[in-house]
Amino acid sequence: MARKVLGNDPFGGDSPKPATASAKKAAPPAKKSPAATKGKKTSPPHPLSVNEEGQEKKKKPALTEEAPAAAASEAPPSPASPSPSVEKAVGAEVEEPSLESVIAQLDALLDQARDPAESRPLLDRLASRLKALTRPEEERALGPATAAAPVLDDEPFDAARELLGSDYYLRRWGQTAIRDRSEEVDDFGLDPEYARRWQPVWDLLYDRWWRVEVEGIENVPTSGRVALVANHSGAIPLDGIMLATALRKEHPGARPLRWLAEDFIFHFPFAGAYLNRLGAVRACQENAERLLRKDACLALFPEGVKGIAKPFRERYQLQRFGRGGHIKLAIRTGTPIIPVTIVGAEETYPMLFQSGRLSKMLGLPFVPITPTFPLLGPLGLAGLPARWKIVFGEPMAMDAYRPEQSEDIVLVNRLNEKLRETIQGTLDRLLRARQSVFKG
Amino acid sequence: MTDAKDHDAHAVTKVTPPGRVVALTGADGFLGRNLIGLLEDDDRVSRIVALDVERPATAGRKTRFYKVDLTQPRVDARLAEIFASEQVDTLLHMAFLSSPTHASAWAHELESVGTLHVLNACRERPVHKFVLWSHTILYGASPRNPNFLPETHPLRGHSESRFLRDKIEAEQVVASFARSSPGTLVTVLRLAPILGPTVKNYLTRYLGRSMVPTVMGFDPLMQFLHEVDALAAFKLAVMRDIPGVFNIVGDGVLPLSTVIQLTGRLGLPIPHPVMYPIVNALWTAQLSEAPPTFVDYARWLCVADGDKALRELKFRPAFTTREAVLDYAHSQRMRDAHLLRTTP
Repeated sequence: MARKVLGNDPFGGDSPKPATASAKKAAPPAKKSPAATKGKKTSPPHPLSVNEEGQEKKKKPALTEEAPAAAASEAPPSPASPSPSVEKAVGAEVEEPSLESVIAQLDALLDQARDPAESRPLLDRLASRLKALTRPEEERALGPATAAAPVLDDEPFDAARELLGSDYYLRRWGQTAIRDRSEEVDDFGLDPEYARRWQPVWDLLYDRWWRVEVEGIENVPTSGRVALVANHSGAIPLDGIMLATALRKEHPGARPLRWLAEDFIFHFPFAGAYLNRLGAVRACQENAERLLRKDACLALFPEGVKGIAKPFRERYQLQRFGRGGHIKLAIRTGTPIIPVTIVGAEETYPMLFQSGRLSKMLGLPFVPITPTFPLLGPLGLAGLPARWKIVFGEPMAMDAYRPEQSEDIVLVNRLNEKLRETIQGTLDRLLRARQSVFKG
Repeated sequence: MTDAKDHDAHAVTKVTPPGRVVALTGADGFLGRNLIGLLEDDDRVSRIVALDVERPATAGRKTRFYKVDLTQPRVDARLAEIFASEQVDTLLHMAFLSSPTHASAWAHELESVGTLHVLNACRERPVHKFVLWSHTILYGASPRNPNFLPETHPLRGHSESRFLRDKIEAEQVVASFARSSPGTLVTVLRLAPILGPTVKNYLTRYLGRSMVPTVMGFDPLMQFLHEVDALAAFKLAVMRDIPGVFNIVGDGVLPLSTVIQLTGRLGLPIPHPVMYPIVNALWTAQLSEAPPTFVDYARWLCVADGDKALRELKFRPAFTTREAVLDYAHSQRMRDAHLLRTTP
């Protein structure tokens, strides 16, 4: 029964551990099986004793998985060996394919066995023949009550064999490590399965913790390329993710959003890899242009690190808007820009002070010390429950300009300043209207 | 194609062939061997001139083999002689190592200086077209790379890596040759790392480990090229006269962790501060596939943009990155079970 499975396995020898373990298990039932008893009857009176059987179970390097190892267990003193008579033995066996003769041949063979490597193929052949011979008999002998047993045995035993190998556990572990990941990612590394798994977390933060209020989402078109330019704030920048959540939940087209993230997170372990799977893309002209040419909805934070690394007392004061790279990009690709204003993120992670020494040590542009982070560890990433408000402004169309005008510095600066003033103006309006940081 | 050397003195024995005469350096490498097999079956190629130290096993009726060692000092004169006598019009320069080696001095002679020799021979006896085998890994892995590197991106491969430096030098001398020799079409094919059922290189050995070391906290997007696509690209470059530099890459990208999972292996994450010394020690002990400079490729992006090849060379890969990985994984499983003989 069990040994049937074992005998079938052509590579048993490659995984000695499961094979040995199973051989041990296989031995006791094998003794009961008709094949074994027959073998015992026909075998010549060997100086073969119980202790030798035990020995056999222990060594079996060559015999291990051959089912007839069971049969062999009563015969073989040394578990392998070449012999000149081997070929003859096989020849004889072919003509007289009876079980007794096979076992006798096997006995003789094993008596003279010396070299495991050489006798191995022969043993394999004998084993399979023996199995073919014994199977019907075995089934007959077992009767109807137990006839089904081998069939049932097959599967559990096979599974068990797998369990015995350390390989099996390692493989399981490997699969567990990336169980929540899809097998394919898009060109920029967004893993849809991974992003979906994290959605409940973002939804919780969005609905319950920060109670995000959205205004003017209808300004975002349902199709076509569009650039959302937003203020960057809060020492730990989750505004990109919240913006994506807002579009997914509130926008009629549930537009997927990609956002550009600062270089430094990609220098750093974990952050870059994880944010990349969630949809962040390294901020650079080439990436942005490629995404926009594919008609993506792209969020940009032109303030960059300066926006998130500013101290709490400078909250909601827009920093320099880069060098106008986003305007050039929009002109070059004819992308409308939607100014986006985010209020609340500054109070979520009020940066008390920056640790200069720590950031130098870690190679980060800044290490924020907020009331909750790093004091509360990863939980501190949730920050304080300040109420957020996201306002999508009127789109700034860029169709009026020719692509060559992206090199017109004066024009770029003028547009950039206009965009910056729009966002700063909205910020000031929202802050004036706000009654309380936490109640909104 | 028309050939101006019809009045060659040896016209009796060497009738100007109606098709192309393609010479390959490094003909016994993986690409050379298989390409000879492909070109043997192509009627547009009338003769193949194989140049290497060993005769490729695929050499057939059309192939003429010359034993040429590019590390020898006077090899350029001999090459020019061969080019002239065989009337070579297309030269594929593929005498490069596909995997890093410890014999870096010899590798330098072969790759960097060898390319100089080949170009000198091309100056002495011009060829119609020169095709260079190059690599996208020469761009170098960096957190500052855009997600898709265009051909115009500078080659910033790790300066400490002899393997990369020799190849970058070869590209540089070829680029200056292209500028100074307008009569020769120069096509440079920068191939993404090749995976496939039969190819053997540092990458297949790395992914063939039962535990594949990765850098903890980093999961870069990887891009591969199937071996068949690699050969197809070279064949395309032989058949079409399109000069320029092209990234030859498979479509799509996969994170390294997914690649390892698809090959049925197990990632072994090691923190990067200890990764470099470990790989260094293993490399010194000849136990690792690549020197520590290659750890960068397990940390950061080095993915090239294949749009130009599609646009100009009309090269469309048949296999995506994912399919290349799966194809490799299938045959690797067979090799693991000793059902498939390991190809050299």
